[in-house]
Amino acid sequence: MVYKLETLKLKAWFSEKQVLNDISVQFPPKSVVALIGPSGCGKSTFLRCLNRMHELVPGAKVSGQVFLDDDDIYSPKMDPMDVRRKIGMVFQKPNPFPNMSIADNVVAGLKLAESHSKNDLAEIAESSLKSVGLWKEVKDDLKKSGASISGGQQQRLCIARALAMKPEVILMDEPTSALDPASTANLEGLIKQLKNEITVVIVTHNVGQAARISDLTAFFYLGVLIEFGDTKKLFELPKNPLTEKYITGRFG
Amino acid sequence: MRLIGRRSKERLILAGTFFLSIIAIIPLLSILATVFINGVSAINLEFLTSLPAPFGESGGGIGNAILGTLIINSMACLFGIPLGIFTGMYLSEYGQKSRLGTAVRLVVESLSGVPSIIFGIFAFTLIVTTVRHYTAIAAAIALGLMMIPLVAKATEISMKVVSNDIREAAIALGIPKWIRTTQIVFSIAKSGVLTGCLLAFARISGETAPLLFTSLFSFFWPSQVDQPMASLQVLIYNYSLSGFQDWVLKAWGASLLLVLIVVAINVSVKFIAKPKFKGSA
Repeated sequence: MVYKLETLKLKAWFSEKQVLNDISVQFPPKSVVALIGPSGCGKSTFLRCLNRMHELVPGAKVSGQVFLDDDDIYSPKMDPMDVRRKIGMVFQKPNPFPNMSIADNVVAGLKLAESHSKNDLAEIAESSLKSVGLWKEVKDDLKKSGASISGGQQQRLCIARALAMKPEVILMDEPTSALDPASTANLEGLIKQLKNEITVVIVTHNVGQAARISDLTAFFYLGVLIEFGDTKKLFELPKNPLTEKYITGRFG
Repeated sequence: MRLIGRRSKERLILAGTFFLSIIAIIPLLSILATVFINGVSAINLEFLTSLPAPFGESGGGIGNAILGTLIINSMACLFGIPLGIFTGMYLSEYGQKSRLGTAVRLVVESLSGVPSIIFGIFAFTLIVTTVRHYTAIAAAIALGLMMIPLVAKATEISMKVVSNDIREAAIALGIPKWIRTTQIVFSIAKSGVLTGCLLAFARISGETAPLLFTSLFSFFWPSQVDQPMASLQVLIYNYSLSGFQDWVLKAWGASLLLVLIVVAINVSVKFIAKPKFKGSA
């Protein structure tokens, strides 16, 4: 299989309300995929189906299949915990653990659920912080609280925390919506770098951001995937009039 | 209405609340003042460290009652705090919506309103009548049971206010729920839990009724926990009613000591509630 991540007839519900309808889509490895669409279109729910976070909401349901390489992450023999270790996630609001130091935040997933030597953890912390460009800024403050740095730094810390797990895919749910323009630009640069290693799926409200950083774009509307394809083509020559209306800012 | 303008109404309310709060504080302050004035002359090294003198003789101290209160309270904490913490953890992280959770929450809330004498009678019936003598263990159980709802409620509330974003971060890292609960959410809530434990300790330090049924009193140093044991509370009760002037004075001294302990705990809570890191929630 040439795709890293593939969904097949994915449907999702909140209690009785269906919010995703038959989403079948394929994401190639080492690419950035942007999910766009107006509020409530299901793009965040779709993202949360990809690491089995959606099912944690009381009353929520999922049907269909999601393949990571060749394995269906919804198959009964899959442990959701393992799925989430392979498919990392970064949230809208930076959420470092306030009770842990910066260094401990980076390796929290490894330290709390696996056994690693102190040296290994320190090395992983350093390399993860370097890969998000945070090392130089915090290397003298590694013992300070993860909540003591700026919002932009916190979000990069959260990405480092996800990267420390060595995930194959990283999901980002509007990761720059709580950040200032400089931090946003910084993070966009980082996302472009990340695709040298892994697949990034990013939900964004900012159409310009999708155009700037993604290789592929998926446009969602009312729980349906309206259009999916090469970002350049989708922005220059949208096939569906709804897509055109949305990206030109006429609704949403 | 027109005669009293908005500004004067404002002033009237301000003066009213100020006046009434002064009235509320007067009895509290006069209790503290009375205890202090009467008790301070009793306190000296002998008072704090020696055994009571025989009835009718002056001198001696209340050392055994101080030690007894410490032992009984420690035993109560030993089982009341862990049980309370785990109950609170369950209520906050596991039993939010389940039927068992609702039942546990109802019991916890009702227990915190049960008068302390009921806990005393319970421990009396359960233990004292079974072993046929008064014992400090029964006192510790009565007081420990009283601590459970207080500690559980404090733990539940402090854990519930931890933002859900933090829980999601842990889930997304594949951290198992029990580790997330104990090492992340509980760890963030720790200062609130500690505050709850201290306030529960302060609360049981003043309870007398459960002790009258259980540990009763002793004129000797505590040697065995399954025997009657002296405590400050029961000492105050016994001595103040004795009519013997030296004992009445000692009761005042013991009262002052007890008040100081409770005030010290309440004041220290304010300092402990500070977070470990600057900027953390």
